[in-house]
Amino acid sequence: MNSRQGRRLQRLRILSQFLFLVLFFYLLVRLAEGGATRPSWAGFFFYIDPLFLWLGLLVRPFLRVFLLALVPLLLTLILGRFFCGWVCPFGALHQFFTWLGPRPPKKAAVERPELRLKYLLLIVLLTASLFSVQLLGWLDPIALLTRSGATVILPGANALLQRALEAGPEPLYALGRRLLLFVSQRTSIQAIAIGSIFLVLLLLNLRRRRFFCNTLCPLGALYGLLAKFSLLRLAVNDACVKCNACAGHCTFYGSPYKDYMKSECVLCCNCLADCPTTAIDPRFGLPVHGRRPAIDLGRRRLLGAAGLGLVAAALPLSSPERKARVRSFLRPPGALAEEDFLEKCLRCGACMQACPTNALQPAVLQAGLEGLWTPVLVPASGYCEYECHRCTQVCPTRALARLTLEEKKQFKIGTAVIDRSSCYTYADGYNCAVCEEHCPVPEKAIRFREVEVANFRGRLKKVKQIYVVPDLCIGCGICETVCPRTDAPAIRVGAEEEQRGNPAG
Amino acid sequence: MVASSAILLPLAARGQNQATAPARPVQAGAVVQVKGNSPYEATQRAIAELGGMGKIVSRGDVVMVKPNIGWNRSVEQAACTNPEVLRAVIELAYAAGAKNVVVMDNTCHRAEDCYQRSGIAAAARKAGAELRFCDENRLALHDFRGEYLGKWPVYRDHLEVDKFINVPVLKHHGSSGLTIAMKNLYGILGGNRGKLHRDMGENIAELAAGFRSHLVVVDAWRVLMRNGPVGGRLSDVEERRTVIASTHIMHADVAAAVLFGRDARELEFLQAAHARRMGEIDIARIALKSLTA
Repeated sequence: MNSRQGRRLQRLRILSQFLFLVLFFYLLVRLAEGGATRPSWAGFFFYIDPLFLWLGLLVRPFLRVFLLALVPLLLTLILGRFFCGWVCPFGALHQFFTWLGPRPPKKAAVERPELRLKYLLLIVLLTASLFSVQLLGWLDPIALLTRSGATVILPGANALLQRALEAGPEPLYALGRRLLLFVSQRTSIQAIAIGSIFLVLLLLNLRRRRFFCNTLCPLGALYGLLAKFSLLRLAVNDACVKCNACAGHCTFYGSPYKDYMKSECVLCCNCLADCPTTAIDPRFGLPVHGRRPAIDLGRRRLLGAAGLGLVAAALPLSSPERKARVRSFLRPPGALAEEDFLEKCLRCGACMQACPTNALQPAVLQAGLEGLWTPVLVPASGYCEYECHRCTQVCPTRALARLTLEEKKQFKIGTAVIDRSSCYTYADGYNCAVCEEHCPVPEKAIRFREVEVANFRGRLKKVKQIYVVPDLCIGCGICETVCPRTDAPAIRVGAEEEQRGNPAG
Repeated sequence: MVASSAILLPLAARGQNQATAPARPVQAGAVVQVKGNSPYEATQRAIAELGGMGKIVSRGDVVMVKPNIGWNRSVEQAACTNPEVLRAVIELAYAAGAKNVVVMDNTCHRAEDCYQRSGIAAAARKAGAELRFCDENRLALHDFRGEYLGKWPVYRDHLEVDKFINVPVLKHHGSSGLTIAMKNLYGILGGNRGKLHRDMGENIAELAAGFRSHLVVVDAWRVLMRNGPVGGRLSDVEERRTVIASTHIMHADVAAAVLFGRDARELEFLQAAHARRMGEIDIARIALKSLTA
C-alpha cells in the first residue's frame, strides 16, 4: 500500500474517532432527557462493551441487550483492535492528546510503556468480579468517560460558557439563556477528584502515546487478548528499506517491520501513512503461531494478578458496609439491596447525568471504598423530583430497577426527621413551614400543629410546629433541600425504612 | 453575587417600580368577578368590565405578566396559574399596544420543569410573550420600606418594566392559609426566600405594599382546596370557573378569599395588610361586581 492510500485510511480513522466521540457526547447529553424506550439508545456504548456483557453474565436476571457486545467481539476476531483505534470515544481523546504531544525522535530508541500492565489489571478485575466484587467500572473507558462527562466535563463546559457569555454582549447572553444553555448549573461533590484523574490521564499522553489505552485500559486488554487471533494483520514486503519510519507515530511504540504485535495494534494506520515506500500491506490470513513478537505475561505474573484479584475481592467482602443495617446515606430510587446494587452498579454516573435536580452525586467513602463513585442522593445538593423517574430509566445494568413514574412516586427512598433543637418552630418559637409547603406527597407527609409555646423572648405565642408522618414520607428530600437554615438543615432525610428495588422489576 | 458581574445593565430610566404612591385604579378599589364558560373568555370579560386593558397598558409599554409557575404540576392539578388566563392577559396587553410582554417566575421546583408542565411555556409562546428564567446575575436590592421586610434581592426584570400585571392562582396554602396575588409576589424575589416564612403574614403585606401591581387577575378557574400550595391530588381540586380582576391587590385577595370560602379577617396576611391601611378587609365594603357570563 502506498502512503497516499495510507493517509486516506488514516484520515478515515480520525473521522471515525471524531464521529464516535461526538455521538458519545450527544448520547450523554440526551441522557438528561431520559430514555423511556428500551433499549434506550443513550446506553449504546454500554451495551456494546463486552466487559459489561461479562458482568451481566455473573448476575441475574441477564439483560439480553448486552448481547450486542458480541458484535465488536466477533469483529475483533476478524479485524483486531478496531474498537480502540476507530470507535472508542475515550481512545479518541487520548489519540488527540498524543497528537498534541512532542514529535517522536527519529530513530532514537523510545522507551515503551508497560504494555503488560493492562492485561494484569484485567486479570485482577475479572478475578475479583468472580467473587461478586466488581470494580471494572472504575477503569472501563466507557464508564470512566461517562462519569467524568456527567460530573466534570459537561458542568465545567457549562460554567465556562456562562462566564464567557457574561463577558460578551447582552443579546448573545440572553440568547444563550433562552436556549436553556446555563439555566441549571450542575455541581458535583467529587468534581475536583474525578476531574483531576481525568486530566492526569489525558496529560500522561504527552509523555507516552495513548498512555491509558496502552497500559491501563481493561477493555483494551480484553480486545488485545482476542486480537492476537484476528485475521487481519499488517504484512511487510520486500520494498521495506528498514528505515524505521513506521515506528515514528505507532500508537503502541512498535513497528510493523520489527516487532509488530497484533494484540497492541489499534489499526491507527499511522505506519501506512508514514511508510516512504510501499512496504506495508494489510492482509487477511489465518493467525500464525510462534516466532512472532508477543507480550509475555508470564505464568508467575498471571498467578500474582489473580492473587491480587482475590485480595481485591476479599477486602470489601470482609468490610461491614455490604451488610450494614445502619446507613448514613441515601440511594437513588429503585436501587437494589446494597449487595446486589454494588454488584451491578458500574459507577458510570449515567443516573447523575439523568438527574434533573443534581440530587444524585458520586459517593466518596460513605458506602465503603468499594462504593466509591456509586450514586448517592444528597438532598443538600438537590431533591428527588416527584414527577421524575429518569435515573431508573437510564441505568444500563438496572442496578436501579426500572420504575414507572407511578411506582417511583410510591417508592420510599428514606424518611425525614425533624431536628427539634434547630427547627425554627421548636427552637426559636416562630412559624416557618417551608418544608411542609414543598412536601410533594398529596396527603402531606409533613404537617404542623398549632401549639402555644414560649418563644426565645419568653413570651407565650402560638406556633405551627412541624412534624413528619413517617408512613407517608417517601424520602424525596425536598424538605431538606429547601429548609431555610443556613448552618445545617433542621429536617433531614435518612435511610430509615428505606425501600430497595426488586431485581426482576 | 450581583455587583461584580459584567452583564449588569443600567436600570431603565422609566419603569422604576417604587410603589410608594397608592394604586390609582380605574374605579378606586373596585373588583370584578366573572364566572364564565372558559378561562380565556372570563379573563377577557373581567378586564373589559374593569375598564379595559387600555386603561392600564400604554402604547409602547414593556409589560411583565407574572403568573404563579411555582410547581411541576399540570393544569388540572391547579398549583400554577391557568395558561388560558395567562394567554388572555398577554394578548390583551399586546392589543393595548404593549411593546413587549415578559413572563417569568422564581419557581420552587426546577424552573424548566415548571414552565413546561404547567402549560405556561406553551401559552406564553402562543401569545407571543417573552419567556424568561430567573438569573442570579440580575438580582438587585429593592427597598420594600417595611417594618419586617426592608431591602431584599429582586430580579431586576420586574423593576425594569413599565407595567406589572400580577396573575396568581387562588389556592390553599398551609402556612399562610391561602396564596393569591399578594403572596404571588414572592416570585419576584431572590435570596433565601424561606426566611420570609417567619412572620409570613407581615412579610406578604409589606411585599405587596412595597411593590406595585398595576393590575391583578386572579385565576380561580380550578381551585386547590386542600394540601396546597403544591397539591397533586385531583380530588383536592374544585372547579370554580371564576376569574377576578382588580387594580387593587388587597381587594382582589379579599374577594378571592371570600370566593374560596374563607373569612378574610381570619387570614394573617390580610389582617397585616388591613393594619397597614392598604384597603378594606370587609368584603361588604368593597365595590364588587359579580357577573356570570
